[in-house]
Amino acid sequence: MSAKQILTTLMMALAFVATGSMAQAADMPDQVSIDTMVKLFDSVEFDHAMHTDLGEDCSVCHHHTTGTGTADKRCVRCHADSEEYVPVGCSSCHVADPFSAENIQQKELDLYQFHIDKPGLKAAYHWNCIGCHEEMDGPTDCQDCHARTPEGDAFYHIDATGSSTSGH
Amino acid sequence: MSGISRRRFLAASVAGCAATTLAGPKKALAAGAFTGYSDSMGVLVDLTRCIGCRSCEAACNKEQALPAPDRPFNDMSIFDETFHGGTQKRRPDENAYTVVNRYEPEGSDEPIYRKVQCNHCNEPACLTSCFVNAYTKTQEGAVIYNNKVCVGCRNCMIACPFNVPGYSYSSAFDPIVKKCIFCHDTRLKNGLPPACVDICPQEALTFGMRKDLLKIGNQRIQTHPGRYVDHIYGEKELGGTSWMYLSSAPFDEVGFDANVSNEPIINNVKDFLGTVPMVLAIWPAMFTGFHLLAKKQAGHDNHDEKVEEQHGEEGGEQ
Amino acid sequence: MKSLIKSGVNVVDSHVNDKKDEDWSFIRKMMLGLHFGQYLGQALRNPFNWILGVIFAIGLPLIAYRFLFGLSVVTHASNDYPWGLFLGFGLFAMVPLSASGFMLGTTVEIFGRHDFEPVERLALLNGLLGYLFAVIYLLVDLGQPWRLPYPMVVSFGPAAVLFLVAWHVATYLSVQVAEVSVAFFEWIGWLGGKRFIRRIAIGLTVSGIILSTLHQGALGALFCYAPGKVHPLWFSASFQWIHFFCSSIPAGLCMVIAVSTIIKKTMAWRCDDNFLDNLDRCTLGLAKGASLALITYLVIKIIGIAHDNEWAYLATGWGAWFLFEMAVGVVLPIILFGYAIRHKIVGMARVGAFITVFGIVLNRLNTALITFNWQLYQEVPHIFEVIIAVTIFAIYVVVYRFILYRLPILYTWKAEPEAAFAADAAKATPVRMTTPAVEAVYRKID
Repeated sequence: MSAKQILTTLMMALAFVATGSMAQAADMPDQVSIDTMVKLFDSVEFDHAMHTDLGEDCSVCHHHTTGTGTADKRCVRCHADSEEYVPVGCSSCHVADPFSAENIQQKELDLYQFHIDKPGLKAAYHWNCIGCHEEMDGPTDCQDCHARTPEGDAFYHIDATGSSTSGH
Repeated sequence: MSGISRRRFLAASVAGCAATTLAGPKKALAAGAFTGYSDSMGVLVDLTRCIGCRSCEAACNKEQALPAPDRPFNDMSIFDETFHGGTQKRRPDENAYTVVNRYEPEGSDEPIYRKVQCNHCNEPACLTSCFVNAYTKTQEGAVIYNNKVCVGCRNCMIACPFNVPGYSYSSAFDPIVKKCIFCHDTRLKNGLPPACVDICPQEALTFGMRKDLLKIGNQRIQTHPGRYVDHIYGEKELGGTSWMYLSSAPFDEVGFDANVSNEPIINNVKDFLGTVPMVLAIWPAMFTGFHLLAKKQAGHDNHDEKVEEQHGEEGGEQ
Repeated sequence: MKSLIKSGVNVVDSHVNDKKDEDWSFIRKMMLGLHFGQYLGQALRNPFNWILGVIFAIGLPLIAYRFLFGLSVVTHASNDYPWGLFLGFGLFAMVPLSASGFMLGTTVEIFGRHDFEPVERLALLNGLLGYLFAVIYLLVDLGQPWRLPYPMVVSFGPAAVLFLVAWHVATYLSVQVAEVSVAFFEWIGWLGGKRFIRRIAIGLTVSGIILSTLHQGALGALFCYAPGKVHPLWFSASFQWIHFFCSSIPAGLCMVIAVSTIIKKTMAWRCDDNFLDNLDRCTLGLAKGASLALITYLVIKIIGIAHDNEWAYLATGWGAWFLFEMAVGVVLPIILFGYAIRHKIVGMARVGAFITVFGIVLNRLNTALITFNWQLYQEVPHIFEVIIAVTIFAIYVVVYRFILYRLPILYTWKAEPEAAFAADAAKATPVRMTTPAVEAVYRKID
């Protein structure tokens, strides 16, 4: 399977995620299925409700777009009084293909763009999840969140015995 | 010798010089200063983001159809491997165009992972040292290699300041240089990022135009005070590279040669290349001059008493 | 061989058979004028041949092994150490040791120092064979040796130093073949060829100087590509090529002294009086040249350290090794040469020459192999690599000896007078020249 196919699948999956999480506090989803890399890894069943129950503010994950807004010094200069965004789903800002020719070209066309270093969707997820999980002693092993598919096993050259360790 | 008329002698020396200068004009083409194609692409590697998952190694292996690894790519015990008495970590070779190494610098709680691959220099040492012009720096920024003309002298490996090119020594009949080519054939030239960038879960690898990556790198340093060493490795090193690095630890503590010059490698050689046309032009006249002097002075045969002085002259002139 | 000569055998030194007054056949010339039995007998009696035999018995199969199964089975060549003993010794040491050709060519042809003529041909041959075998070492080391002509015909990398080396070595090899071919033409009896070469001798010599200057220097400049890899004491971006060029001068001169010493001890029968009588004088003359070049070399090495301010390195372990190389390889021979020249002690000059050769080889090995990657780790060559290097050197010795035995390098070919060959009747009316003076006259005419 080509990388392009992975990418297409990823994008389609994200379109779904975005719709699912297009939510104000009122209609926020309890469960989000993140189908990003379904080729190498199965989808992540993200328990949104459980995470909101942790009592952290929405802005911990959603930055300035929802909740009480951000306190990050870098962000408040512009976003201190930002209105709530609609939608607030990750993929509405973080694109799945940050390094496509179009997206790179965009940097050349829009010379006043401020966020020239906005991470792509995959990185946005991993940073948010892993960063927090490490702090809160959540699961950090790859397969704790998404099980590797047979195709993923082949990709990493993991033989049937699966004897090797994984994680980081 | 005495039988040779001056005219004939001159003709002979002119012929000799012509023969030597035949190749001269080509050699004299020492490359001028080159700082890279303006719209060339690059990758910014942010060591603070890398979690050492080795997915980039797996993606590279697949994209470049390299041989299956001895151990699976999720085997993290490979970071404990060292070579040559514990002095060396893994390096790219014929079976792996990129490797990730783990470092534990003092004062850092977390290990730091560093991906190694060809840095795709603006003015590559491999390219400038190759006597069959097997290397090309493409418009897109990749340094690619033509195995059809490679003779196998391995001067490029001597020259590479990053110790990147590997050689398939085990092949008897078709040994070639093997190194990262920025996925030029399959991706880069079609406007796609290389496979390693595509797979990276952490966006530790940022793909873009080199000039934008410099802006991004500086912005990261600026907006995250205390997080990074205030330096983009590869911005200026050895004339600049397409692949550049940001790090939280001093670069020499995470496997970089921090002592490299900002001059491209070829600049070390330009002194010599510059003398080549001078030698070609001056030597014939100078030595024929010496010859004529020696001939006039001494009747060309009997000059035993001159032995000592003339020999001194010869040694001293070097 | 000596015993054969004592027993009255005449060795070929002219076209005609001494006793029967008839031409030597080509086969007999090849066998030095001996009969097959005699030739085989002397070859078998020579213990050195048995040593060579052992080396070849082990080494030749290993060379075949290398070509059938790749470099990795016989060398420790690696991605960090792309160049091993084949280039470190074979190319980088053999080439300076072969600077003798252009040095003596310059001395005799350009400076008109005909008093060095007795060793000129030896020096030219030494140059030719050294280069030839440097190329052979290179062929063994190249990944795809069958592509050696590529930089000349297929694909050009003109900004590369190695491109210069390739072109210069190739051109210079042809120049040296031409220079040495004089002896060959005498031996086969084709005087037209000889006269043609003599006519362009100055042109050949001058192009030889140019080519030698450039590629002796270029071999040094090759290391300018690896500024961080060669230890700073052995590296100088500005002067590397001058260091290599300058040190090639004593290397070449001392190689002539060393080879002539071995010749004098082992094959004096092949030398004529002109060679033997003049050798001591020439040796001291060469030693004088070598010592001056060594002093120059010492000075520019010190300038190199001062220029890059590398004094601090002298206090390290590598510094001690560097001082050893300079003390033994450069300063000691300077002292020996100085004393030998002042007191006319030829033996001491010869010892100095052998030490100089050792010193230059050590310098090249240090630059290419020992201090290379000084910041990484030390590579030790594979035992097979050593054996192959020794085997090729043994082939070099055999070829060297083969030519010295036959061609008029160490002795003067007893030529026919011009009248005879002008009439193309050399073979029909052979005239024997005996007096050296007359002989010299004919050499001049040629």
